Amino acid sequence: MGTFILKRLLHMIPILLGVSLLTFLLMSLTPGGYLQSLKQNPQISPETVEKLLAKFHLDKPWYVQYCYWLKNVAVGDFGYSVQYKISATDLITARLWNTFLLSFFATVVAWFVAVPLGIWAAVNKDSLVDRACSLIAFAGLSIPEILLALLALMFAAATGWFPIGGAQGSLYDLMTPTERFWNRAHHLVLPVLVLAASELAGIMRQMRSNLLDTLRAEYVTAARAKGLPEGWVIYKHALRNAINPLLTIFGYSLAHLLSGAFIVENIMAWPGLGRLTIEAYSAKDSMLVVDSVVMATALLIVGNFVADLMLAWSDPRIRLKE
Amino acid sequence: MPLLDIRNLQLEFGTGKDALRAVDGVSFTIAEGETLCLVGESGCGKSVSALSIARLVPTPPARYVGGEILLNGRDVLKMDQRELRSIRGGVVSYIFQEPSASLNPVFRVGNQIKESLKLHRPQFATDEEVIRLLKLVGIPAPESRIRDYPHQMSGGMQQRIMIAMALASEPKLLVADEPTTALDVTIQAQILELLRELKQRLRMSILLITHNLGIVGDIADRVAVMYAGQIVELSPARALLQRPLHPYTQALMNSVPQLGHELDRLQAIPGNVPNLGQFPSGCRFHPRCPKAQSDCSQKAPELVEVEPGRWVRCPYWK
Amino acid sequence: MSEPAPNLPLSPRQLFWRRLRARRAAMAGGVILAVLYLTSILAGFVAPYHYETDDRDRFFHPPILPKFDGLRFVVPRWEQQAGQFKYAPVPGDVKPLHFFVKGDKYLLFALIPCQTHLFGTGEKNYPINLFGTDQFGRDVFSRILYGSQISLSIGLIGITLSFTFGMLNGGISGYFGGRIDTVIMRVCELIMSIPSLYLIIALRNTFPPNISSTEAYAMIIVILSFIGWASMARVVRGMALSLRERQFVLAARAMGATPWRIITRHILPSTFSYVIVAATLSVPYYILGEVVLSYLAVGIQEPQASWGNMLTAAQNSEHLRSYPWLLAPGAAIFVTVLAFNFLGDGLRDAADAKS
Repeated sequence: MGTFILKRLLHMIPILLGVSLLTFLLMSLTPGGYLQSLKQNPQISPETVEKLLAKFHLDKPWYVQYCYWLKNVAVGDFGYSVQYKISATDLITARLWNTFLLSFFATVVAWFVAVPLGIWAAVNKDSLVDRACSLIAFAGLSIPEILLALLALMFAAATGWFPIGGAQGSLYDLMTPTERFWNRAHHLVLPVLVLAASELAGIMRQMRSNLLDTLRAEYVTAARAKGLPEGWVIYKHALRNAINPLLTIFGYSLAHLLSGAFIVENIMAWPGLGRLTIEAYSAKDSMLVVDSVVMATALLIVGNFVADLMLAWSDPRIRLKE
Repeated sequence: MPLLDIRNLQLEFGTGKDALRAVDGVSFTIAEGETLCLVGESGCGKSVSALSIARLVPTPPARYVGGEILLNGRDVLKMDQRELRSIRGGVVSYIFQEPSASLNPVFRVGNQIKESLKLHRPQFATDEEVIRLLKLVGIPAPESRIRDYPHQMSGGMQQRIMIAMALASEPKLLVADEPTTALDVTIQAQILELLRELKQRLRMSILLITHNLGIVGDIADRVAVMYAGQIVELSPARALLQRPLHPYTQALMNSVPQLGHELDRLQAIPGNVPNLGQFPSGCRFHPRCPKAQSDCSQKAPELVEVEPGRWVRCPYWK
Repeated sequence: MSEPAPNLPLSPRQLFWRRLRARRAAMAGGVILAVLYLTSILAGFVAPYHYETDDRDRFFHPPILPKFDGLRFVVPRWEQQAGQFKYAPVPGDVKPLHFFVKGDKYLLFALIPCQTHLFGTGEKNYPINLFGTDQFGRDVFSRILYGSQISLSIGLIGITLSFTFGMLNGGISGYFGGRIDTVIMRVCELIMSIPSLYLIIALRNTFPPNISSTEAYAMIIVILSFIGWASMARVVRGMALSLRERQFVLAARAMGATPWRIITRHILPSTFSYVIVAATLSVPYYILGEVVLSYLAVGIQEPQASWGNMLTAAQNSEHLRSYPWLLAPGAAIFVTVLAFNFLGDGLRDAADAKS
């Protein structure tokens, strides 16, 4: 198990290096050049430009810039955001945390609804419930997140039950810690539900077909032949095995989840990495675009790592391979 | 009263016009301590018949149309779920063809065996009893193997675990559905040897299902040959092997290489096994039968006792 | 099943069609797509107005539907309530709906100048806005039709480009193996390890911010194809790896066929059934890619209509609440994606001989 974890961790390093190199290369292709756009921006003082120049050597070729960027990022320094006039490190950390919150709770909600539904549909295969679930899941797979998010906004505007976008109320700074917590939670509900809803259908369909597959497996017949009650057969023998492919899929679906979060953040004004990327793009702050792309990738890779760990924990065939 | 008495078992897959009859009037008995071999090509209904003894065929798609399966005098087809669970493992245990697929990959083998013990002999659900069972089926160093997962064992070892699991509940009847087909030849011999030994030591009845007549002589007391959902010949093993009566049995024998028998060459049976539900009229074997007469395609023959203890479904067996 | 067995066994293709026709959802998906693509090609003719035609007196107008008065379809005249921001039909004031009426100029098939429209009243004060109007008083229905020209074609062109590229790379990677394989697969891994929308923005950053709609169209296709080829290449590589050891490939090699010929004539055709299914199921991602970019105002620009930039108008929650018909492009996206998913699912089941 130890070597397994170590191997996976080591595998993450070249990917992160490659991704940052690639995005840096893309940034160097920005029309007009990053340095030029900084200088032309009247909102940025020449001193700031000088400071950035000294730190990231923006006048050098892109690969030299990359080395300086890497050196700084390695010690956790993302530089300075010209747009927000604060440390880019603080900015990115806050945004990363928001995207993580949104994705994490959406995953939890989606799984808690989709897995039992999938099981129910599989156990009652071809029943009315199963057919209804399949149909809804199929429609759910086809609803774009954009539409769902806009509908959620419409819902919020019509009922007034939820805030219309954003992450905190206007009086947030005046609130007590408990009020702040509830205010944040209240803002989180709709984005989480939208993102969860867009993930739900896929997980449900997967769960159903996995469980149907394992219910046909010979070890399930063998478990019945032992005299186990049907409940045990399904929930102990079949379900434990049906979960494993779902964990594998979970790793893959994280990329989809983060893209979904990107859309939800931008429509519902949730200040996460996706929104930051667009804001940085509009402000022509290419460095911040690179930073947020790399952080989003890091989030995805770490998520994959966690999925691998869960799979290894759940499936002895993978855990004991090494 | 025999331990198992199957009478005129009829089973269909699907319903209405599309129903396919997989088992059509199968009857046989197994006495206590007796070993019966059920022989036939794949798709002849032998596995479905065997699974029916503990009603393990999923319904639907399957449907029992008629017949009785008397186990200790009680009809399995009329049992409720609770009673069914008690005979599964309690009276009849199974081992299957593919040991790697029949053991649950995510549980330790010791726990899988213990599960059987908990259900049927809860006072013995201990590591000591599991180790005793593993010793019984010939697993070396059993103390170190009980915490293994199935994928850490070889196919032969996995099948021994399956057998230990089946024996854990001390069943009266062991149904072995092609237990050696998926294994290497040398391992096959070892597993068969183990079954024969266990049969003598534990005085258990065995129903062995196989498509290989070659292994019948080693272990069987009696043999039932199935073709297209019906039994075509039922006979004591020795007599059948020396002098098969039904043309199908004869053809099967000729297609099996045997030591000490001079044969010109192995003969394949001409034609194909008929598909489920597309059985020929009359005698179901007649299109492939070398001895077929003109009326074979019209009259469906009955299974009749032609010599004491020997039953044949062919009027032209002589 | 109970039919008499046919004399000749069916070819794989016949079997495929038979299985596909038996799937009603797949057929429905196919029919819907056929209709959508047809109206998209004929958008100028089917749409009652040009996408740029605006009516400043009638912005945010609710949908106007023709009524049947027993003899013919009629369109009522709507009037703004005095002092109120609200429209209402004027009772009894109607004009008949005509087919093949003269209206805005447009180019049929982008070539033939034309003025005939499928339907309309032919009178300016009796507009017909099936899905209402937007903030400039432009007809949402017409704009959806014009927008479909972009959304629907981007899906097809994008998928063709990226899948061709992906298949070639995958075929080369799997056939040659070794260092080429390592390099191509590492690149794929890189592309796939970045969440796609973030990569899309990073790529968008390499193009000038303000570009014409035609340029934006080409740019979106390039960006989406740049990302899309990777997953295809990975799967085709796996297939090529096993195919290159097959007899027919060995035979071709023994006859002295060049690697290019072997890859394009022997290996890639064997992956077609998988590729077709994967392509059908991937088209929605390309459509949604365009929608997101245009929605975020970094793709197709106004006044050109696209499903994405039409939704931008619905961004304002007040608008959304008062004028829900602004979400109509969202419904169009949903129907299109659903149709592709139905068709793709059916194709997959029909191509899968096991079922």
